Amino acid sequence: MFARYRQSLLPDKRGVSGSWRSWKWYLGNYAFILPFMLLFVVFILRPILASFQMSFFRWEVFGPKPFIGLENCDELLNDDLWWVALRNTVYFAFLTSALLTTLPIFIAITLNLPFRGRNDFRALFFFPYVLSASVVGLVMRWLLGQQFGIVNHLLGSVGVGPIPFIADSDLVIPSLSVITLWWAFGFPMLIYLAGLSNIPQDIYEAARIDGARGWQMTRYITIPLLRPIILFVAVTQLISHFQVFAQPYVITNGGPAQDSFTVIFYMFRAAWTYFRMGFGTAMAVSLAVIIMAFTLLQFRFGGRRLEY
Amino acid sequence: MEAKPPQLSDANTQISRIALYALLVLLAIAILFPSYYWMVATSLKTNPEAFYYPPDFYPPKPTLEHYHEIMTRGDINVPRWGWNSLVIAVATTAVTLFVTSMAAYGFARLEFPFKNLIFIVVIFTLMIPSQIYMIPNYLLVRDLGWLDSYHAVIWPAAPNVFGLFLLRQFFSTFPRELEEAAIVDGAGRLRIYWQILIPVNRNALIALGIFVFLHSWNDLFWPLIVLSRVENRTLPVGLAVLAGAYGAGDSFSEPALIMAASSMSSIPVLIVYVIFQRRITQSFMLTGMGGR
Repeated sequence: MFARYRQSLLPDKRGVSGSWRSWKWYLGNYAFILPFMLLFVVFILRPILASFQMSFFRWEVFGPKPFIGLENCDELLNDDLWWVALRNTVYFAFLTSALLTTLPIFIAITLNLPFRGRNDFRALFFFPYVLSASVVGLVMRWLLGQQFGIVNHLLGSVGVGPIPFIADSDLVIPSLSVITLWWAFGFPMLIYLAGLSNIPQDIYEAARIDGARGWQMTRYITIPLLRPIILFVAVTQLISHFQVFAQPYVITNGGPAQDSFTVIFYMFRAAWTYFRMGFGTAMAVSLAVIIMAFTLLQFRFGGRRLEY
Repeated sequence: MEAKPPQLSDANTQISRIALYALLVLLAIAILFPSYYWMVATSLKTNPEAFYYPPDFYPPKPTLEHYHEIMTRGDINVPRWGWNSLVIAVATTAVTLFVTSMAAYGFARLEFPFKNLIFIVVIFTLMIPSQIYMIPNYLLVRDLGWLDSYHAVIWPAAPNVFGLFLLRQFFSTFPRELEEAAIVDGAGRLRIYWQILIPVNRNALIALGIFVFLHSWNDLFWPLIVLSRVENRTLPVGLAVLAGAYGAGDSFSEPALIMAASSMSSIPVLIVYVIFQRRITQSFMLTGMGGR
């Protein structure tokens, strides 16, 4: 009896397929995915294909849009500003991801210890993540200013500085990285906490009987068991920070000079300041290719699940 | 014997405990001082007072003049921007949850030709960074006449591929036998979706909802492109434009006014966060790894 009902819900190939009954049935099943698929095709699939296509055209908002083959690509390769933006983006992405992958591990391990108030600390540490990049950017700009910033005032009172955190060519990217760390470390922290809660406690118990203590447990049990999650965090962070835009846009406007100008910032300027849509898509496609290379790395290394 | 979670080393428990608390409290201060104390303190000063050196740690004569100025000035319309942000985030969340959960039910529980092929194509796009959609989507939204409207922000965000992947995983784990029992009782596809899978997986749906809401609320790039008139901006866009209008990098004119706008836009967030913090952190733990 169940088999018949089940077949009516999920007709298999031997069953009712081919008949009018199953045709109507399948149409009903398609109806469930239709709204999503419609929006998906219009707003995701079509623009991906259109971007690849547009990158071969001189596509400006006004005037003719001739096919120019790889000219946009060629222009990018010979464009000093593109290489500056790419260098800044890679530097920022690797530095920020390194910070956001490593430090939250230790914060998570600390907050996984049994003590009163740890849930309040978790909530507090995650809090900056819910603020918008604009608020974070404005507040940090006001805090880190060389002349009137409170941070430099406090540093001055212990005899350091003033340090031009966001006005110096060499310091601006590390400063943006640390600001991003301040803003976003709560997210990887929560991922690590979720991972820590999956580590069975009897492993620690066994290690204790064998004489392992504090740091040894962290070094030889916790971190090796977290490895797949650490890898996952590293790759997802890298992918998201390659797309950095808000921090330099709000905090430095790409400056000083072009020292915090990034790829997406350049695409934004090409497309919406100079209306060079074709050139902009060439940048987007280039960045996508770079990012996809890193995503493939994740599939290569991150696909395995660890058994305890 | 009950297995104990990792303990602070037993001999120095007391000292370690104090050191631990000290460290955590320092970190907490590093978070709260910039985000709340200094922002609000500056907003209660006058602009000249904000530039005093050495700075006053609290406003000598607290004033609400900048908050008043924001309420009356047209070009820094924080309440209006907040309203736009709220409408867009609520609508985006509602539409996303609706279309994504329906499709997740289809992909998790129903059969139809080319199901796996379609699903693979959809999931594959997760690998492609979203900036690649921006230029073609901008041109489409412009041709539809949606620039400077809520539609321009809500609809392109609705097909959430990550959300589909997440919900499909949750829907797939629902036991087949229970679904069959419902069929025996005469339930059709709509009822199984709406009266069984949705309520059973409400935690996953709430988690995805919080995730989508926060991303929509804080998104900068796309709304910055499609919303250009002052009264149509969202909070992040409005503040980012202010950031550009009042100097860049180190130079900063009218800091007290800008900090008042920042405070006004983030105090509601703080209140909501304090009320729902447990729910929010749990949601991010659940969605953080795609439900793994």
